[in-house]
Amino acid sequence: MSVRRKKRMPAKVPTTSMADIAFLLIIFFMVTSNFVKEGHIELTQPRSPDIDAMKEAHISVTLDKNGDLWLQGKPCPVAVLEEGVKALLLEQSDKTVMLKIDKDTRQESYGPVFLALSRAGAELALIGEKEKE
Amino acid sequence: MPLPKPKPLFEPELSSFSDIALLLIIFFILTTTFIVPAGNKIEPPAASADPSNAEEKQLTIALTGQEILYGPRAERLSIEELRAALLEQNFRAKPPSRRIVIVNPTPDVPYELYFDVVMAIHRADGILALIEEDEKPRK
Repeated sequence: MSVRRKKRMPAKVPTTSMADIAFLLIIFFMVTSNFVKEGHIELTQPRSPDIDAMKEAHISVTLDKNGDLWLQGKPCPVAVLEEGVKALLLEQSDKTVMLKIDKDTRQESYGPVFLALSRAGAELALIGEKEKE
Repeated sequence: MPLPKPKPLFEPELSSFSDIALLLIIFFILTTTFIVPAGNKIEPPAASADPSNAEEKQLTIALTGQEILYGPRAERLSIEELRAALLEQNFRAKPPSRRIVIVNPTPDVPYELYFDVVMAIHRADGILALIEEDEKPRK
């Protein structure tokens, strides 16, 4: 008896949708990514077990290891910090200013920064690294 | 005149491109670490640099170099002892005016120590007061 074997069809996996998924993922990450704007600033943040993760604020002030002050990633002398922060706060409903200071900075450098920000009416968010207890 | 035979269409194999793209995406999803800022929010009221203006009820912490001098008797404490001493104050049960802690650092105090002390005050529900050092009046 002769049995006719069915011809096997070659398996074809539709791969066009894979490219669509890949592009959708790429677009999602491009839209939602928030890049580090202050990569050029050298600083080592202080560590403490008493801090928690917090929401990122729109205004950022940084005092780096060389004692240079940066407002929104741009150099800013301490004499004009108060006015600069006041102007930025006018555009924001949230009065929080993220303050990042190098751990070895001395009080004679960071003291005037605290006072200027306090006078500008900012709510200070002191940023550091969480240390495990 | 006979028409020339149409050339067969060149169809490059594109399915491997999407594989590479997906592999790259998976690699970056797995290896990316997001920077989440860690810190605490403080809303400091200003205090006068003149110690005679400070109320007796307000707690004062003096910082000199690497030393923490706590309270009116200027007891020398480590950061762990300070944390315990601040928790003993039970600020949570007190009104805001009795929760103010004045931190008075000397010019040589590193930010690392100041940050540790401020965070310990925040953890104990104290309110940090900034020292006004210059003559500029507050608006």
